[in-house]
Amino acid sequence: MSIDTHSEHDAHGAHDGGHHEPPEVVDGRQRMGIWLFIGGDMVGLSALLFTYLYLRGVNTGGHWMQMLGYTGHPYSYYYNILDVKGGSLPNPTMIHVGTLSAGLNWTVTALTVVAAAIVWAAERGLRATKNAKSYSSLAAVAAVVTVVAIVFTVIQLRHIPQIFVANNDSQVMAYTGYDSAMMAVIGSTLIHLCILAFLGLGLTIRSSKGVINGDKWYQARLVRLFWVWVACASVIASALTTTINTIH
Amino acid sequence: MTTTLEATKTAAIPQGGGLHRRLNMLTAMIGGALFAWIFWFLAHHFLDPTSRTYSDEVTVSLTFGWIVGFWLGIGAFNAPFQWLVGRDNTRDDDLYLAGQGQGKAKYWKFTTDHKVVGVQYIIMTMVLLGAGGILAMAIRTELIIPGNHFVNQQVYNGFVAVHGMLMILALIVAVAGPWGNFVMPIMCGARDMAFPRLNALSLWTLVGAAALLLTTLAVGSLTMGWVVLEPIADQAGVGMDFFAMAIIVFTVSTTVASVNVICTALTMRTKGMTLARLPIFVWGVIIAAALGLYAFPFFSLVEVLTMVDRTFSTSFFIASGGGTGWLQANLFWLMGHPEVYVILLPSVAALFEISAVMARKPVFSYRTAIAGMTGLAGLSILVWAHHMFTTGWAPTLGGPFMLTTELISIPTGLFFLVLIGTLWRGNIWMKLPTVWMFGFIANFIIAGITGIYLSDIPIDNQLHGTMFVTAHFHYVFVGSVLFGAVSALAFWFPKVTGRFLNEYMGRISFWLTFIGVQVTFIAMFLSGLRGMPRRYSSYAMIFEHTNFITTIGAYMIMAGMLVLLGAVITSWNKGEPAGPNPWHANSLEWMVPTPVPLENFDVLPVITEDPYNYGEELVRS
Amino acid sequence: MFWTWAVITVAGVLVGIYAPSRLMPRSMSDNMHLTILTMIVFTVAAAPVAAGVYAAALHALRHWTHKGDEVPAAGPAVRENATVVTTWLLVSTLLTVFLLIWGLGALAVDNGSTGKNPLVIDVTGQQWVWSFSYPGTHVQSDQLYLPVNREVEFRVTSEDVTHGFWIANMGVQVDANVGTITTIHTTPDKLGTFDIRCTQFCGLNHAFMVTEGHVLTSSQFTSWLASQPQRA
Repeated sequence: MSIDTHSEHDAHGAHDGGHHEPPEVVDGRQRMGIWLFIGGDMVGLSALLFTYLYLRGVNTGGHWMQMLGYTGHPYSYYYNILDVKGGSLPNPTMIHVGTLSAGLNWTVTALTVVAAAIVWAAERGLRATKNAKSYSSLAAVAAVVTVVAIVFTVIQLRHIPQIFVANNDSQVMAYTGYDSAMMAVIGSTLIHLCILAFLGLGLTIRSSKGVINGDKWYQARLVRLFWVWVACASVIASALTTTINTIH
Repeated sequence: MTTTLEATKTAAIPQGGGLHRRLNMLTAMIGGALFAWIFWFLAHHFLDPTSRTYSDEVTVSLTFGWIVGFWLGIGAFNAPFQWLVGRDNTRDDDLYLAGQGQGKAKYWKFTTDHKVVGVQYIIMTMVLLGAGGILAMAIRTELIIPGNHFVNQQVYNGFVAVHGMLMILALIVAVAGPWGNFVMPIMCGARDMAFPRLNALSLWTLVGAAALLLTTLAVGSLTMGWVVLEPIADQAGVGMDFFAMAIIVFTVSTTVASVNVICTALTMRTKGMTLARLPIFVWGVIIAAALGLYAFPFFSLVEVLTMVDRTFSTSFFIASGGGTGWLQANLFWLMGHPEVYVILLPSVAALFEISAVMARKPVFSYRTAIAGMTGLAGLSILVWAHHMFTTGWAPTLGGPFMLTTELISIPTGLFFLVLIGTLWRGNIWMKLPTVWMFGFIANFIIAGITGIYLSDIPIDNQLHGTMFVTAHFHYVFVGSVLFGAVSALAFWFPKVTGRFLNEYMGRISFWLTFIGVQVTFIAMFLSGLRGMPRRYSSYAMIFEHTNFITTIGAYMIMAGMLVLLGAVITSWNKGEPAGPNPWHANSLEWMVPTPVPLENFDVLPVITEDPYNYGEELVRS
Repeated sequence: MFWTWAVITVAGVLVGIYAPSRLMPRSMSDNMHLTILTMIVFTVAAAPVAAGVYAAALHALRHWTHKGDEVPAAGPAVRENATVVTTWLLVSTLLTVFLLIWGLGALAVDNGSTGKNPLVIDVTGQQWVWSFSYPGTHVQSDQLYLPVNREVEFRVTSEDVTHGFWIANMGVQVDANVGTITTIHTTPDKLGTFDIRCTQFCGLNHAFMVTEGHVLTSSQFTSWLASQPQRA
């Protein structure tokens, strides 16, 4: 790092003066920041997967994928019978839930991986051809693919079965341990995908304006690093939850 | 050199700044309140009011609205929005954001200058300690005699939980916040932190989170301790949702702060400042930040899951759906134990720094200090289940966790070696920072030893959940961390304000606090040994004497802290003037003028040795 | 410095030997005796360590402080002393290993004393009462009755939230969790009455979740059991 000898009287900075650091230095620092943030996210993913495996391991009362209750109607139906009409329900039965659709799960993962691949390929193209416009188009495609993935994620969430539980003072639409853990994993996926969509949109706009271009491509790499991590995390989470689920 | 000082004082307000020009804490509060209302309204309108989880759903929506509005109002979204549309900051924008030319107003705004953020953290620490302290006095006043006379159980139980969380927040930031921000970059020879806007974000996010936590008290509070164990957390009123959201928001603050600290210390050191020449305080802050980066995602997750259990009736912690409170306990303590070292390490590292300056000697065995802190941080990841010895969750794992926990006493002991080794045969300058440091030494040995008792499972079977545990960790937090934090305050106060913290008032505060700590917490150990569980709003007659003494001691501590507050307030503008280097220290923060110019250094220094060459100049010359 | 250290060590050892049994509830079980002994051993072992720290700090305050307001001259520029560091590490490791071996040993003794025919008692915590039932009979009680010198196994659970089942006189504590049963053993060996308190914050009346227990002779216990109403 060089000894900087500029004075700092640049309050009227018409130029980009002052203590200007070379872009490589700034980028190195930002890359470290992204990796640290990814590290924190890795811990977060581990915590989520620990939650999933621990719940399955403890399987309190055998309720990992089954619980006593009723199914098939929304909350208002049961509320009507119990609270409005003052009636009662027959004895609850043990409801067994199936595993959530592995197909949907892997679809979301595949879309995330495809978007990451597009972002990575686009970056390599940008560095080689210096064509910011085509980078912008590819980034837009990646963002759209991510939005499609978001739609599928929401569909996944809506397919998680609810079971009406009425014991003691509590009447709620509840979820078994498995469905709860899957909700957490899918919810986390949803949040990360929303962040990726935002980043993809940003890349699209910035490169179309030339702020990201063949010479200034560092930010494209920063986003790519995070994007690829999210894709990896999605693969890991899907692999775990589609193979280790039922208890025999 | 003086031209820099004058330039910053008389510099015109930069022309840049954009959206930030009008935003400050007031607009943040207004934005928060406005969006809280909007989200409340939307939830109220669209959600089913007959649902048993309705109040939780509405509260989650409301608190989410608060933080979104708060961030909007303070200008935290400006940077992401600008990034999105491709409009990056000009130099003028950056200078405006750094507070140039805005005088005192910059302390109320999203200001990126690390020195401004440092002062803001001093204020936040005092606010959190003050609020937590008031609750502590309410708790001890209630416990002065048996029976519920001052407040009822409901209110008392809420006080206990919120006191705990407020103090934890206060201590996490107490040293790392003010001094990790104000001093650390200068110590490295840098002009600011790696990501100045993230720096401002971490501070203002803390403010937003603190507001939610304080509101908990007003909305029925909590019915369980600050650990908010499940399944009882499921029973609590909407105060629990405020609490959970406060934590989730807070972990955003710590994450960005950790990333910032680590990147600054690793990539922004000036030429010649190798890692081996880095002041030991910076090492402590880096290690604490890395540990925090590991720990706080667990905290965030467990509070999210708690909120989801309450709002969506999932079964993470509810047995009828296959869940277990043990999951909550595991996730919580995976965070909770490393967290206490996130709290302790900056305080200890500050004391290492102070001991060298005040004894006029190098830090004894700099390498041992680093090894000790690193070993402590590393081991702390492996001990969490010692908080769960009596839960019955995994009896076979008791032995291994006992092993890792007892091993932690080895790196902890190294801290004493370094401190005492630095003081050994020194010419110890008995000023205010030194006085509080000796207090730390006296208290920390008790804290450490009582921790060893608890690490032994048969003893823990007896003492877990009693006031013995409470006394142990108060010796750590009040007796040790707080003493280190006050020492750091007295030490760096002249750099921030150009004045000494009043020595006389500081000493009165010390004696009141030190004696108060012994009276309060030794009596509390006795309560626990005798069989009094913790979090009791009332107690049996056999515990009345020890509780009475504990409360008297607590009032002494309160008096001590009030005197300290008085010292800070009077000394800030009217204290005895101090030059730029009143302690004749060698680290870089003392080589710059007071007040420190906007970008710290006119010319970045080149370093040729570490700051501990006391006495060696004589040898060399 | 040596004499300061010696005096504080002796004081600490005396406190270690005499204080635990006096400061803690009367010991009424086999593992409580061992727990108190462990506290004595730990305190005695810790005394010289604490004394060392205090003696050094006091010596520093008496002999190495600079009098006067001007900045002191530099002290000896000692940066490293491998012998001291190594010795310190060695001693602290040995001490830790000793405490660990003792602790693991005491744990093994506690676990190993599980016999083949303990008296099983089901303990249920519920906001905010304890109830005890004796399997094999249909007896249910809200106070705990135990026969002396007979190993007892508590099977503990909860109906609502996590509670902490604790008998301070016997060194026995385990949480009561919903949907699971946790177990703990002890053998009471003194007659008398004791308190059972909840140690896990369980809501509004946590501080009042207390009940009494009684250790009786075998014949007293049998007649108590027989006198209880039999619930179906």
